[in-house]
Amino acid sequence: MNTLTALSFSTPALLDQLAQLNAEQLDQLDFGVIGFDADTKVCRYNRTESDAAGLTPPRVLGQPLFTNVAPCLHNFMVAQRFEDAEDGHSALDDTIDYVLTLRMRPVKVQLRLLADPGSAVRYVLVQRRL
Amino acid sequence: MIDQVSLQAFGEDANARLASEHEALMQFLYLSPVGLVQTGIDGEILMINPISAQLLMPLQRDGNLLNLFDALEGVAPELRHLCATFGRRDGMVCDGLHIHLNHTGHASGALRPRRSPQVLSLSLLKLDDTRLMAVLSDVSEQVRRERQLRQNDAWLNALLTSITDYALVGLDREGRIVDWNDTIGRVTGHTEAVVGAPYSVFYPVDAITDEQVHDRLREADQNGWNLDEGARLRADGSQFWASAMISPIPDAELDDPDAPAYCMVLRDISDKREAVETRRKSAFCDHLTGVANRRAFFEAAELELQRNRRAPRPIALILIDADHFKCINDRHGHPGGDAVLRQLGLCLSATFRQVDVVARVGGEEFAVLLPSSTLDGAASVAERLRQLVQAQAVAFDGAHIGVTVSAGVAASEGGDLDLDSLMKRADQALYAAKAGGRNRIECWTPALSLSLSKRADQSPGSRDEA
Repeated sequence: MNTLTALSFSTPALLDQLAQLNAEQLDQLDFGVIGFDADTKVCRYNRTESDAAGLTPPRVLGQPLFTNVAPCLHNFMVAQRFEDAEDGHSALDDTIDYVLTLRMRPVKVQLRLLADPGSAVRYVLVQRRL
Repeated sequence: MIDQVSLQAFGEDANARLASEHEALMQFLYLSPVGLVQTGIDGEILMINPISAQLLMPLQRDGNLLNLFDALEGVAPELRHLCATFGRRDGMVCDGLHIHLNHTGHASGALRPRRSPQVLSLSLLKLDDTRLMAVLSDVSEQVRRERQLRQNDAWLNALLTSITDYALVGLDREGRIVDWNDTIGRVTGHTEAVVGAPYSVFYPVDAITDEQVHDRLREADQNGWNLDEGARLRADGSQFWASAMISPIPDAELDDPDAPAYCMVLRDISDKREAVETRRKSAFCDHLTGVANRRAFFEAAELELQRNRRAPRPIALILIDADHFKCINDRHGHPGGDAVLRQLGLCLSATFRQVDVVARVGGEEFAVLLPSSTLDGAASVAERLRQLVQAQAVAFDGAHIGVTVSAGVAASEGGDLDLDSLMKRADQALYAAKAGGRNRIECWTPALSLSLSKRADQSPGSRDEA
């Protein structure tokens, strides 16, 4: 459990460690976690993200991320980064400043984009900026 | 007690329903395919849905999205001013304003935005003195389609105006007419029986070979179109001047050999014929003889040989020279010589097919390129010409000038010779005809080439004396 509490938004090599966590452990993280599969369907969605967006997991899980869950990420800053990484068979671990529309309010956040050719699940992590 | 419990249960139930409705409403806004933004009167963003963020975030340089006017500053700097000077208390400030985005110079320049919108549509509604509502959407695709429609309109206008009439002809992969419509009848006088015939049916006899029918289709495949202007034939045998454009039909059903694969627009431009003919004549005709000039010959010959390399087939070249022309000039003067050349031009035009390229390439030297002809075929036509010329003395100034020609013939089975080599061989054969006594036809053979190269070393240019 110590490893779990130690996990933060900026922990290095986070992708592998997230994969080890079960749903309950994921819910305890203080940053939003959205995991999606090869078809961009959301397969992991933690409580922090659910609370911030005002959406319960059943409305989100199984839905395509960039069209049905977070269309605001469907541009070259986010969605295309994942596509490029996929096309180039390369890993992606990048953090960008962004504004999400959580409950229709513009909210300044940092997004961390994680992907790896060896991992079936890719992640968008969300941390509020102050 | 019971009432209190049921009241509490009712309250929880209502809360749950409200929460569920709220969540559904929120998702409704999350998923709305148009952008909705509510701002303060100064553009400060109060509420915004995700599509707005998708459209506006790529325009942001600092990764923030707090003010709509700031977000659009780089692409629509007039917005703030537009709102500030809007006179009424409420109302539409702008409706469907097209904002053209410019992605160059964006902070993340290394990333070429692949699917980024090019044009946004923005409507701004002033609600009152403190609030604005904005509707944003990506209209790139509509704008692109509209542009294409306008382009199509322009094409149609170009095709349909200032012409006598036009026929729309569907062609299959082999260039055969696929189906019947009235425009074909109107322009060409043909009936439905013409369906199934290759489009060469519209050309005068001998004006196009089967291979050239295919050449034009291939060129339409490669360039998107093929344009050909020239004489065409009506069903009753009369001719009209036409412009014919063939273009491939996009996404034609390639599996079905009977489906239309090309569209041919055949325009009757007889009105313009004179102008076109004059232009063509001045550029491509030899003034004296009326046959093509050197420029026209080499352009046409290069094109034909280029096509020949793509789709190899026999091709022949004849070089023809008036015998003893120098003597004719000496005895009758240059006007006499000119009369002889004019007569030769007439004989050439009468002998060869329309599809053959007949040209005066030198003082008294003519060249004829015969597409889809073999050596023997070309030699027999050349022989016909020789006889015709010999039989018709040229009437000039009360005298009759007898004239004969010599000709050299060379041919290729297709694809393996360039124009220079073909010309060289025909020239060697012509030399042999001169050396053999004139007024005769010689065909090129490999042996000829050998013996001549030896002789040429000894007395270069001797044929010019002939």
